[in-house]
Amino acid sequence: MNEFEEIRNCLVEMKDLSSLMIDLAFSSVMYNSEDIAEEVYLLEERMDDLTLKVKKLALHAAKKEDDPESLLSIIDLADINERISDAAYGVSDIILHDIEPHPIIIEIMKDTEEELGRVRVHKGSILVNKSLAQLKLPSKIGTRILAIKRGSRYIYNPGKDDTIEEGDVLIAVGSDLDKLRELAGEEVEEEE
Amino acid sequence: MEEWDEVEVPDNVKEIFVEMKNTAELMVDLAYSAVLFREKEMAEEVLELEEYLDILNYNLTIRAVLSARNIRDAERITSILQMARSIDEISNAAADLAKMVIDEKLHPLINEVILESEETIGRILVFPESILIGKTLEELDLPTNTGVWIIAIRRGKRWIFDPDEDTKIMPNDIIIGRGTMTALETLKEIARGIIKVMSNE
Repeated sequence: MNEFEEIRNCLVEMKDLSSLMIDLAFSSVMYNSEDIAEEVYLLEERMDDLTLKVKKLALHAAKKEDDPESLLSIIDLADINERISDAAYGVSDIILHDIEPHPIIIEIMKDTEEELGRVRVHKGSILVNKSLAQLKLPSKIGTRILAIKRGSRYIYNPGKDDTIEEGDVLIAVGSDLDKLRELAGEEVEEEE
Repeated sequence: MEEWDEVEVPDNVKEIFVEMKNTAELMVDLAYSAVLFREKEMAEEVLELEEYLDILNYNLTIRAVLSARNIRDAERITSILQMARSIDEISNAAADLAKMVIDEKLHPLINEVILESEETIGRILVFPESILIGKTLEELDLPTNTGVWIIAIRRGKRWIFDPDEDTKIMPNDIIIGRGTMTALETLKEIARGIIKVMSNE
């Protein structure tokens, strides 16, 4: 793989991640989800690594370019994505840091009957190898999947043809995520 | 574009916040669309939205500051101010991306990046024989039925940015949409009149 291909792959991932992060960061505040705020934090770290990688690769590529300055916009794009991701983290940080949220934040979270969280798909779960079209989660258990985390990759806004695999982490919104947790084969804690 | 001082800001804090989320997401989508199609007018719209997001941010901040009754309240307000600064930074970053279009300094690789993203951007011409014609976006519910989010519509010489649910699709509209390549291809066939039904699930 030459430098440009590598740069392209990194930037594609960064673009997908930054959109996902804005969505998750605001959602973590609206749904008061520490779980998702933490996910945003992890994504931010990934973004830092990718940014550095793109910058290094761009410098190497510049050595062979007749017009090295033409690579400036590539570095700018990496920077813009990193800034978006830092800022997204800054939004969700309020959920991780405030032990007692400010009335304004409580107001933002008010009237949200749904829960936003992460659910891991375990071995033997009936979700494994089924497409979202087959599962019809929104109509059956009132749950929408915002993203599927597979290894270090994310499928953002998965469509009906996307299939769930063992080990996936589903980022989902719903009135009762415990139903999804049961289907995914997670131990569900009984609430007092 | 209307004047911002006439723009209504929702009075409820939650609605302001939802509006901020939608505006930030729209700015990023529009900025990338502007980059892909080298559309300066679209880039200018991103800069306008930056001002709108500033106004929303200002409203949120004012509410937070007004609510302080004691030192403890004031301390907690700092976290809101920090969040407001972060939201402002998202809009600045999107605006900087838009400025790259206006300044015409884009490496060709950047288009490849947008086209290869999981969620990419497409330009779709609506033919007169398409089932989309005459229907509102609410009736069509394209995100659910096709997996495509509508960012903007080009109608004749004018742009409709962030069309709302009452916007009707007209013959020869050009839709700018965000979605996977497959989703965009499906919508293209619907817009061409090749596919005559929209399947839900």
